[in-house]
Amino acid sequence: MNGLAILTEHLSKSYGGKHAVEGIALNVPRGAIYGFLGRNGAGKTTTVKMLLGLTRPTAGSAQVLGMSVATERIAILRRTAFVSEKKSLFRSLTASELVRFSRGFYGTWSDRAVEKYSRLLEIPMQQRFAKLSNGNQTKVWLLLALAQGADLLILDEPTTALDPISVDQVMHVFAEIALDCGCTIFFSSHQLEEVERIAEYAGFMDRGRLLLQSRLDDIKSEFRLITAAGNSLPEQTSQQVLSVGVEGNFYRYVVTKDADGFAAGLSRNGATVTDVAPLSLREIFLQLVQKEQ
Amino acid sequence: MYFWKCWRDTRSFFIVFVIIAAVVMPVAAVVCVGTGLLENFGPEAFRSTFALIIMFAALALGALCASEEFAGETIHFLFTKPHSRGYFLWTGWAVGCVQLLAIALVNWTAGSLTLAHYSKHPVHSAIFDSAMSQQLAGAVIEGLYVYCLTYALTVVLRNGLRGLGASMAIVFGVPFFAIAIRWRWKINLPVPTVPIASFSPLTSNIIWLIVALLFVFAAQLAVERFEI
Repeated sequence: MNGLAILTEHLSKSYGGKHAVEGIALNVPRGAIYGFLGRNGAGKTTTVKMLLGLTRPTAGSAQVLGMSVATERIAILRRTAFVSEKKSLFRSLTASELVRFSRGFYGTWSDRAVEKYSRLLEIPMQQRFAKLSNGNQTKVWLLLALAQGADLLILDEPTTALDPISVDQVMHVFAEIALDCGCTIFFSSHQLEEVERIAEYAGFMDRGRLLLQSRLDDIKSEFRLITAAGNSLPEQTSQQVLSVGVEGNFYRYVVTKDADGFAAGLSRNGATVTDVAPLSLREIFLQLVQKEQ
Repeated sequence: MYFWKCWRDTRSFFIVFVIIAAVVMPVAAVVCVGTGLLENFGPEAFRSTFALIIMFAALALGALCASEEFAGETIHFLFTKPHSRGYFLWTGWAVGCVQLLAIALVNWTAGSLTLAHYSKHPVHSAIFDSAMSQQLAGAVIEGLYVYCLTYALTVVLRNGLRGLGASMAIVFGVPFFAIAIRWRWKINLPVPTVPIASFSPLTSNIIWLIVALLFVFAAQLAVERFEI
């Protein structure tokens, strides 16, 4: 039993010759809200499917809640709630009937949670799933996941089709249940603002590879945009310098790790450092993806 | 819970077929009163309608019981429930199987009572007449075989229409194939649910039932290897 809700080692998945996921090593601490970021087709959904045993990895291994996905899938599913990227459910059932259907599978099911969240999210419980709007269909998925009383919520694009008010409510609910119940929330998204709002940890995926994963505060403190004025300053990128932009005598460096040391080095070379500014999560993500490309 | 869901999906179809199974012989009998048709051709008509109803019900139930569950859209939901994939497969199968047998029972009972009433024979002789019973049992075995095949193909192909189409092609194509083989090479291939020459009818029926169940086991193997 380790302190990680999700642990993967060299987890890979290939379809034919195409690598959907390439040797990723996820570390999701228990009780954390972990934002799993990436563009469309980055490999987020494939990773989620492997964590739930829906797809077998080509190589590597995964542990969820300390159990091996390969051998203890059903025990994992008993304690894990899931919201799929595809928000389809049995079309002929109403939301109430879907609750009735799901309730029987889990000993930890909470009818109080059903009542609370169905009211909060304003879900028409007596309407057939097929007749619900896309936003309400997403809410039904979320309701079923929240009422399960799970230790871990794996949510694949959980805010798809939700209006801004509902997104706000859902984010609030995630923060609340993580705090109250101590459960782990692992959610994939390409909405960087959502991740920035509630996640403590973030992982960036692109083209099947995990570019970066860390505590969100650490990620933000690690990256800096340094603006300097001078002549013939260095223009090469390196492990520390992700990108360099030049406009006349002005140089803009995106630097990771020891930004102050880098700025001091520029000053020693005769440059005038005009600004050392933090980057938003969006900017960090774009810089990492651009560097990867 | 899943049993309830499967029942809910198929109940309207089941009720329609039960009604058809219950009324087809009595209605035919009422229509034919005084014509002598019932006395002369009643048992033959009963055997034919019985086989036809069971065949249609088997094809439709086989496709219906698995079509939504194993389609691409909802399979994520189902297979992330804490149960084995085999549980879902066999539960869906059991619901359809029970419904098929219930339809057969209703039709058998209604038909036998109708024949007994109009032929003035005692009910038990109409129901338990050995030749008739054997033929009706054969039709039930054929229905179960077709149901299992359709169900298995629907699961494997993850689509009700494709499963139904593939099953119909096999059910109606295999006898022609067997005839062609016999005609060309003088080899007798066993045709599904037709009694196998070297075995008694009971043994043949058991063999065909085992073959039918093997289709579902094969589907289970496929389901457990599904990449979703």
